[in-house]
Amino acid sequence: MKIVATYNIKGGVGKTSAAVNVAALGAESGLRTLLWDLDPQGSASYLFRVKPKVKGGGRKLVRGRTEIVDLLRGSDVEGLDLLPADFSYRHMDLALDEAGKPTRRLGKVLAPIEQHYDLAVLDCPPSISLVTESVFDVTDLLLVPLIPSTLTMRTYEQLDGFVSGDEVAHPPAVLAFFSMVDGRKRLHRQVVESFPRDRDDVARTAIPAATEVELMGLRRRPVVVDAPHSRAGRAYRDLWGEVRQRLGV
Amino acid sequence: MSLTAPTRSYVAPAGVDAAALVAALAERLDVAADQPTTGEATVLDTADRRLRDAGLELRLGTGRSAGRLTLRDHPGAPPLAAEVPPEATRFLAPDLPAGPLRDRLAPVIEDRALLPLVRLRVEVRPLRVLDDEGKTVVRVAVATSTALGLPPSVPDTAPLAAMGPLDEPEHSDGPVDMRPELDVAGVLGYPKPLARLTTLLADDLALSESNAGLADEAVAALGGDPRGLRSKVEVHLHPAERADEAAVTVLTELAGMVEANLPGALADLDTEFVHDLRVAVRRSRSVLREMKATFPPEPLARHREGLKWIQTVTGDVRDLDVQLLDWDGLAERVAPDRRAAMAPVRTLLAERRGAALTQLRRDLGSDRFNDVWVGYRLFLAGDLGPEDDRPAAATPIGKVAGRRIRKVYDRMLAMGGAIDDASPPEALHELRKRGKELRYLLELFGVLWPADVVKPMVKTLKRLQDVLGLHQDRAVQIAHLGSLAPDLAVVPDGPDALLSLGALIDRLAAEQHEARADFAERFAAFAAKDQQRLVHRTFRMPA
Repeated sequence: MKIVATYNIKGGVGKTSAAVNVAALGAESGLRTLLWDLDPQGSASYLFRVKPKVKGGGRKLVRGRTEIVDLLRGSDVEGLDLLPADFSYRHMDLALDEAGKPTRRLGKVLAPIEQHYDLAVLDCPPSISLVTESVFDVTDLLLVPLIPSTLTMRTYEQLDGFVSGDEVAHPPAVLAFFSMVDGRKRLHRQVVESFPRDRDDVARTAIPAATEVELMGLRRRPVVVDAPHSRAGRAYRDLWGEVRQRLGV
Repeated sequence: MSLTAPTRSYVAPAGVDAAALVAALAERLDVAADQPTTGEATVLDTADRRLRDAGLELRLGTGRSAGRLTLRDHPGAPPLAAEVPPEATRFLAPDLPAGPLRDRLAPVIEDRALLPLVRLRVEVRPLRVLDDEGKTVVRVAVATSTALGLPPSVPDTAPLAAMGPLDEPEHSDGPVDMRPELDVAGVLGYPKPLARLTTLLADDLALSESNAGLADEAVAALGGDPRGLRSKVEVHLHPAERADEAAVTVLTELAGMVEANLPGALADLDTEFVHDLRVAVRRSRSVLREMKATFPPEPLARHREGLKWIQTVTGDVRDLDVQLLDWDGLAERVAPDRRAAMAPVRTLLAERRGAALTQLRRDLGSDRFNDVWVGYRLFLAGDLGPEDDRPAAATPIGKVAGRRIRKVYDRMLAMGGAIDDASPPEALHELRKRGKELRYLLELFGVLWPADVVKPMVKTLKRLQDVLGLHQDRAVQIAHLGSLAPDLAVVPDGPDALLSLGALIDRLAAEQHEARADFAERFAAFAAKDQQRLVHRTFRMPA
């Protein structure tokens, strides 16, 4: 099972949108796919019309006292299952800390179902915490959405430095991509154009700011399902192509 | 631990169409309808319908779904799928891609090929049952199939010009509309909506759960025989029936089996066609021999000779098939470090099998075969003539068959009793041949006597035959493999292969010796006094 995580220290940058669309495209490609909504806000769970509720809460889950199989929910996309969010995930840091070897915990949670899925997509909460460190430890590819701004480069290099630093035992590969790009804004165009494109940790694909993406919350379906031929739908498909190539799946 | 939600399959009662089914569901549930799809599929099965008998249905997609195999298993099990080359329509187990579908099918089909059974056009209306949130909690597919046609029963490649008067069943051209089917798939984590729906389907809509699909109905509607090829003779005999008429009834059934297997044997669809054809011929020869007093001597001798010729010309292919089918088992008898050196032996066997098949096709496509077979069929269908030279013709079959069973059994007792450590291997082979005669008599005419006597007797006989068969098979294998030596000596890596072959032959000879050691115990059970009394008491003219 390959694991992709969508992550940024900031919220509202398109992590959940990327996670649900990449997961839907993974399933569409025939990969048995799991989406784990780690964000206590439960946006990914909401998008798939699944109740953001985990029996026993996050604490029991990370301690291995809940059968993970009983928590899984099939989604409207065939081949894509969801491990829903729970509001108790806001205390997952504490739960991990108490459980011992915290950065290995998420891997242990996923271990029983590892053989049943080809791809897991983790939708992370916006923070740097034990949860994210544990995510970094288990992840093969960290997918980082970046909104073009004057501080984009700095933010990204901070993250890159952390991920590849000593604190992460098993650093994942990183793939950043521009998200919510508004072509009408000069700043967006300038930032995207000035970002070094020859780096292999930056995707060629940029996800546009598009109505279809905003409508996901209303229609409660991934863009790639609801409007597959839209600009955003095509962009997510291209991004998935880059992700897939890096994962070798 | 299962991460797959259960599935269920249903068939609608006659007279209910797909639109009515969809409407009935929409009336009772919150359902969303997705875009209907239409595609063609071919149902595959072995010639003897092993998948159907095991409660399985395998479909091969065509058109946009070309190359996709989908297997429906027992109720509740998720369907299995695999991708195969889009142009392929015939699959032996090793042709299937490794994975769960092959793992499920291989032990069911064994050495048989999966072949096209019936072509269907399938219109699928996908529905989703929704919960209060509008989320899909059960998936439903309402499928309407139209049977388009049966694959040709005689492959184009078969040189069957000589087969003049064969009875080809009348096939309808189709298309024939079938009853709608309904596949229900649960969604992981939502067992209750699935349970509610299955109750509704059974109780309110009177749908019957069935995983076998409608392939049988489709085949029957198109004029085919859904039972497939059979190797068991199932005829109704009465003990008081004239022996000649009963014999002809059995022989006609066996002749039908020869003809049913002939196209597959010629097309080399799988090895069992030649095997089953030979079994039917051998049984026919046995009936002609054991019931000879019911037939006129002159034509009888000619037809026995004709059938013997068919048996002979199909023998090489079968002998080589046995070696090749058992190749892994043979190779395992050689030390692991010598197995790789056996490759040239296998290559040589495969080459010889190719040549033997060419010769078989030539022989069974020849004028001689035509003369033999058409003559034999006319003999069975015609008047057997005056009874002057057919002393047992009008005797009840119960009397004739019972007498023959007792006689052959007694003959076996004498032959087996005379075998000791000094007896030549041929003595065991001759006993085995007699054992086959007895087995065929019991299988073909045993229906006239109580099954609780016949079945245990067949079992005891089979135990004896197994050990005699092993003895003889090893003798044949040793001779066969030994005959490869001159050819092996001149191929690259041949000398190394010869060394391994020598080791294999030694091992086979040891097994032959062991089989002989087991003979005494098996024969003692067969020849036990109570068994003798039972045979003589039972196989009298039934009341």
